[in-house]
Amino acid sequence: MTEPGFWRQAGEIARKDLMIEGRAGEALYITVPFGAVALMLIPLAIGTDKPLLATVGPGLFLAVALLFGMLVAFRQTATDTPPQRELLALLGTDPAAKFVGRAATSMLLLLAFQIVLVPVTVLLYNPGRMDRWPWLLVVIVLLASGLSLVGTLAGSVTVGLKTRSTLTPLLVAPLSMPMLLAASQVVEALRNGSSILVWILLLMTIDIAMAAIGVSTANPLEESSI
Amino acid sequence: MKRWNVALNALAVVAIGVGFSSAVGAPAERTQGDFARIMFVHVPSAWLAFLAFGVTLAGGVIWLVSKSLRWDRVAGSSAEVGVFFTALALVTGMIWGYPVWGTFWDWGDARMMSTAIMFFVYVGYLALRRSIPDRETRARRSAILGIVAFVQVPLVYFSVNLFRTLHQGATFSGPDSPIDEGFVRPLLINLAAFTLVYLAFTASRTRLASIEDDFDEAAALADIELAGSGITEPNLGGESNDE
Repeated sequence: MTEPGFWRQAGEIARKDLMIEGRAGEALYITVPFGAVALMLIPLAIGTDKPLLATVGPGLFLAVALLFGMLVAFRQTATDTPPQRELLALLGTDPAAKFVGRAATSMLLLLAFQIVLVPVTVLLYNPGRMDRWPWLLVVIVLLASGLSLVGTLAGSVTVGLKTRSTLTPLLVAPLSMPMLLAASQVVEALRNGSSILVWILLLMTIDIAMAAIGVSTANPLEESSI
Repeated sequence: MKRWNVALNALAVVAIGVGFSSAVGAPAERTQGDFARIMFVHVPSAWLAFLAFGVTLAGGVIWLVSKSLRWDRVAGSSAEVGVFFTALALVTGMIWGYPVWGTFWDWGDARMMSTAIMFFVYVGYLALRRSIPDRETRARRSAILGIVAFVQVPLVYFSVNLFRTLHQGATFSGPDSPIDEGFVRPLLINLAAFTLVYLAFTASRTRLASIEDDFDEAAALADIELAGSGITEPNLGGESNDE
């Protein structure tokens, strides 16, 4: 019997994670409503000034996507127990394939998370129409992939630690700030009619850098987790 | 404490004294007055933070190659000192910013924001180190996080060129530098003094980390029950052992 290739292994890991998520519904049934509640809480905290809410709405969406997206990226259902990790290692699973598979699942869930929250933001904040709004879809995809990569990497670094649940957000939040900055600048540029190319390139660069770091460090991180 | 370590600490104290007197002796700036003297602390602190995080990166990479725990200790110690210098650069920048820019903090300023992000990234690095008791695991994981975290450093450095915001661009740039000669010398003296302080702090912290590791190792050995420790001394006197 031939050993499954890299992409097959990554695909199987992603399929397994999606099946577990499908059964538990941690991201879609718990974190998504939690994010929607956060979007409702903010106007109560800063006041119901409609023009102000329309201005800050897209930025708040991005902040909620980042903060609650972290919960999606290192959800409990994506955490392997020590026997699961040992079994995967004994089966000869490539750690890099495991990283790619896990990040791909998180990306899909983050995309779903953001797609659900976009109409919630539009309904609650009424941010107005932008001429080149389809570019926001590109931003959402790049943000989802970047967050999932950073979250998966941070999850690998903190695997098995007692402080994992508090430490991982501390690692992910500052590392994700350049993405939040770039995404918010795209929204600003779309409103002003200025160029968004540099910000899209920055998001892409971060995604590529994180993917390269995640894949190249998967082996040593795997060795320290068993 | 080793003799060279004492000498380095003493040298750093003397250098800071010389740096302070050169900063006080520098002329007042034409528009900013005495507030410009904060730059003799702010600029070296920022440079030393970059150096410290560079050493953290190098220490982590060398550990990954050599597996010598000494380099992990150097990386962790340098990160601690780097976080200190980053905080110092942020605080002195804010103190200078209020009278000169009219605000302690400007949300739109790329250099301030990216420096604050870098500060929190390395606070996370230190938190990770504290969370892992096993030395080997701690060294491996923090080496990798040290590589990821260092991505912030060029972002901070080039932020003034990439984004035209409140913070001025690179002004200390060779012979065409717009800085007055009267300021360059005290700035260089303070840079040298802060470098010595960095070396003294890092060397002392690395030594302390080594002592901590030895202590942990001794404590772990004390907890291990030795083979045969359950066997008691034979009773040869004919008296009962039951008391």
